[in-house]
Amino acid sequence: MSRSPDFDELVGPEVGGEARERLRRTHELLVAAGPPPELSPELAAGPTLAMTLGRRPGRARRRLYLLAAAAIAVAAVFLGGYVAGNRGGSGVAAVRTLELRGTAAAPGALASLRILPGSGGNWPMRLTVTGLPKLPRRAYYEVFLVRGGKEWAPCGTFLAPGGDRAVTVTLNAPYRLRPGDRWLVTRRGPGATAPGVPVLEPAA
Amino acid sequence: MRRDRKDMELALATPRLRPSPADETAPEPDPSDGELLARVAERDRAAFEVLYRRYVRSVFGLALRRLRDRSRAEDAVQDAFAAIWRSAGSYRPERGAAGAWLYAVARNAIVDRFRSAGGEAAGEMPELVSGEPGPAERAEAAYAAWRVHRALEELPPREREVVELAYWSGMSQSEIASYLGIPLGTVKTRTRSALGRLSDLLEGELR
Repeated sequence: MSRSPDFDELVGPEVGGEARERLRRTHELLVAAGPPPELSPELAAGPTLAMTLGRRPGRARRRLYLLAAAAIAVAAVFLGGYVAGNRGGSGVAAVRTLELRGTAAAPGALASLRILPGSGGNWPMRLTVTGLPKLPRRAYYEVFLVRGGKEWAPCGTFLAPGGDRAVTVTLNAPYRLRPGDRWLVTRRGPGATAPGVPVLEPAA
Repeated sequence: MRRDRKDMELALATPRLRPSPADETAPEPDPSDGELLARVAERDRAAFEVLYRRYVRSVFGLALRRLRDRSRAEDAVQDAFAAIWRSAGSYRPERGAAGAWLYAVARNAIVDRFRSAGGEAAGEMPELVSGEPGPAERAEAAYAAWRVHRALEELPPREREVVELAYWSGMSQSEIASYLGIPLGTVKTRTRSALGRLSDLLEGELR
């Protein structure tokens, strides 16, 4: 813990009167406020796509997708390098955010999947999605872990409000994750038993 | 500033709206917070990024004060900026300063996060004991810290550097001069200039 600096040493004798008192009050505010927090690399890197997946005007939609696609392309380059650099390691990083984009079955959809640190073999995940249509009764969306190019294991189900409205759900992947694991979202109809049609797939 | 290799890798693995600027010395953007909010209301992502960089430390500091847990505070920052993005259109300049509006939106998002995590046990001060600040005083202190941290972002980098070294690294003015390799007189001039600039920025807090 560092000591508070001495005001007289900081300002010196040159400043006096009202101006000195004004500086002293600022000094006291600085001492009371304490240091600004150190940002994690994740926060310092800038706003995430997930922050802006809320409702927005329709005319901005196309522009958003172009921007998002550009961001996804940049991220994919980094992510590819990261995954490649970690092949043979112990698994995925503690916190990762992946972008998913709509397939031909849901071309306007976008999603951000954040994998959080878990315990006891669990990997909680926060999925924020927008642009998925509202489904008929008893139909739902399902998130799958994809391994070896196949839908390997389910990670949870959710419903979408439809339109541009975003929804955020917390899911879980209670599996031993490996580098190269991916996720996709399928649409499962009422009463269907097989995995449904993919509606969101990894951006890269 | 210590970052380990893993942290850097994690940062690279997180998709962003656009690549973050590598040049920290780029000049401060000119638009006011209110102008940026108006642009964010029109879904201008560049404006949102400028606003984010101006306020992320203040929001994170506020979240840490309330939640007392870095991981949950980081989640609260996500919530807060998502709320700012969603609600920017509701900001009315005639009703008050943009900074105060941003504070209110961020605080509400942080409180929601706090409540969703179990409320009292998660970080709220348990019982008030004699001599400890009450809710109103804590709220006032939180807002003052918010404004101070925001004002620090406005300082030129060279002035901010000497303030941070003087206040939070425990260095004397002579030690700062030696550390930075500049004359002692320059350190004193920059410090006085920074305090004067902060006084202007924090005018409302000084009354």
